[in-house]
Amino acid sequence: MSGTRLARNEQINGWLFIAPSVLLIGIFLVYPILWSLWMSFQVGKGMNFSFGGFTNIIRLTKDPIFQIALTNTLIFLVFQVPIMLTLALLLASALNDPKLKFRGFFRTAIFLPCVTSLVAYSALFRSMFSNEGVVNKTLMAMHIIDQPILWTSDPFWAKVLVISAITWRWTGYNMIFYLAALQNIDRSIYEAAKIDGVPAWARFTQITVPMLKPVILFTSVTSTIGTLQLFDEVFNITEGGPANATMTLSLYIYNLTFRFMPSFGYASTVSYVIVVGVAILSFVQFYLARERSRA
Amino acid sequence: MSGLKLRGVRKSYGNVQVLKGIDLDIDSKEFVVFVGPSGCGKSTLLRMIAGLEDITDGDIAIGGRRVNDVDPSKRGIAMVFQSYALYPHMTVRENMGFALKFAGVPKAEIEKQVQEAAKILELQPLLERRPKELSGGQRQRVAIGRAIVRHPQVFLFDEPLSNLDAELRVHMRIEIAKLHKELQTTIIYVTHDQVEAMTLADKIVVLRGGEIAQVGTPLKLYDDPDNLFVAGFIGSPKMNFLKGQLENERVVLPEYGNISFPASVSASAPQEVTVGIRPDAFDAGGSEQLPLKVEIVEHLGNETYAYGRLGSGELLTIATDNDRQVKPGDDFVARFNPSSLLLFSEDGQRIR
Ligand SMILES: Nc1ncnc2c1ncn2[C@@H]1O[C@H](COP(=O)(O)OP(=O)(O)OP(=O)(O)O)[C@@H](O)[C@H]1O
Ligand SMILES: [Mg+2]
Repeated sequence: MSGTRLARNEQINGWLFIAPSVLLIGIFLVYPILWSLWMSFQVGKGMNFSFGGFTNIIRLTKDPIFQIALTNTLIFLVFQVPIMLTLALLLASALNDPKLKFRGFFRTAIFLPCVTSLVAYSALFRSMFSNEGVVNKTLMAMHIIDQPILWTSDPFWAKVLVISAITWRWTGYNMIFYLAALQNIDRSIYEAAKIDGVPAWARFTQITVPMLKPVILFTSVTSTIGTLQLFDEVFNITEGGPANATMTLSLYIYNLTFRFMPSFGYASTVSYVIVVGVAILSFVQFYLARERSRA
Repeated sequence: MSGLKLRGVRKSYGNVQVLKGIDLDIDSKEFVVFVGPSGCGKSTLLRMIAGLEDITDGDIAIGGRRVNDVDPSKRGIAMVFQSYALYPHMTVRENMGFALKFAGVPKAEIEKQVQEAAKILELQPLLERRPKELSGGQRQRVAIGRAIVRHPQVFLFDEPLSNLDAELRVHMRIEIAKLHKELQTTIIYVTHDQVEAMTLADKIVVLRGGEIAQVGTPLKLYDDPDNLFVAGFIGSPKMNFLKGQLENERVVLPEYGNISFPASVSASAPQEVTVGIRPDAFDAGGSEQLPLKVEIVEHLGNETYAYGRLGSGELLTIATDNDRQVKPGDDFVARFNPSSLLLFSEDGQRIR
């Protein structure tokens, strides 16, 4: 029993120590989460709202912009995450080779984008990918295209632009995780594989990748969450356009709350779509990556 | 034909020369042990034979074929690493069959080979386990199994037993000796443990500072070392070394009351020498005597070692023929025959 005085004192002390953080977490994390859950069942504009039951969920099914935003978000997810993670893994493998010169330089260079200022990088991307920008000029000079690509006004190329931008910004970040994991792999495993006559591609696919599985799972879950919440790039570079071609769920939530006549209830419902999406996709990824039981 | 020929093999890292010209012949089916202190270049030499390190200079031939530029997987070698280097995400079966998969061996044949190796190494009940579910000794056997299935001409072992506890080490040592008999292949084995070297080797290569100090059978190195280093390195407990002088066909030990006895060799001019005598070369029936004061006594059961000295002289180790009565503080007369002494010149070379 913890009925003794000493034990009770310890309990009180313990609670006192964590009280500040519990309070802060409660006010700024738990309360908003619960409040938004409650809000997601409210209908009405601005501060006039009333309980609407499933009205908002029904509205989701009839809202074309929501459906575009959802589709766009999923398109970004399906293309961007695998491209970025594969790229990060290949780069990490290459940069882990002890014979490579200037390794430190390359590592830093590839990691830097994710610590640069969002605004600066958005401005840079906008100018680089403008119709007269350096990207179009280079591609034309190399005779890959004969007229400028309308990066920000063509629905397809706008998506490509957004995917390139996120990939540029986050590949290095994921690569660092892979590099750290690679450095923990015993080098003699690769030497054994060399002696065993395992070709380089198989060393990568059948040794490196399986051994990095836990890290790959981690990065794919965090990247999935990041992409489902995609906001920065579409807000700053394309502003959701052209014609909602790069509208994402997060940007739509922002517009619902701050652009149009605020519709807090409906915006909360859309937020919970992201929550459910993250939960489902994370579960699927953990399920796919589980230790297979032996036959 | 699976002998090896090493000619003038050198290895440098930048300006640092790690191997300074190794010439060595290894016969087919021979069990050769590279032994030497830490950092002398044993692993480097082995890894060069394996093809994991570039050869700075010189030639390596396996089975009469120069292999300097041959891919590691095509040299007819298999290697067992100190850290085992098993593929952690694969079962024992997959670990052992992995190399064969890439050699284009049919599935049924792979399975047969794996089963055969598992039988030799008593791994059959463990085939479905992963490395982390195995003990150290079992992992080591899997690593050996992975080498066996490839039927190499030459097995390379780099300190395969140093991660095991003492008892298991002795056990695995015997297993490896048995394996050599069964497989009838050339084995090159690296260790810094001279007992392992003595018990396993047909031929020992003692390395020191990137050079070969001596090559020979275990008993040759024990009985007839070429230099001080080999004399001191081989044998446990270590050989005793005393300062002495060689003059007029007699050896004088100034630190032991200037006792003198006939030398087996003659010197033209008087010279400083090091006198080597193994602890078990002391013999109660010997003709010469060294008076000592015993400082430490070690009872091993089958043998008792007394450690003693005279005045400020070297501490000598003496196997007492299991004389259990010796105590620290005792006066002890160690007897020996001059013929069981080895003499070394000032530069460490044996005087024969
Ligand atoms: N990659 C490297 N770069 C520079 N020097 C190296 C490198 N690898 C080994 N050396 C040096 O080469 C020498 C021989 O190393 P090696 O690993 O062959 O020693 P060893 O005899 O196997 O020692 P141990 O018994 O400790 O394993 C050492 O002095 C080591 O510092
Ligand atoms: Mg070594």
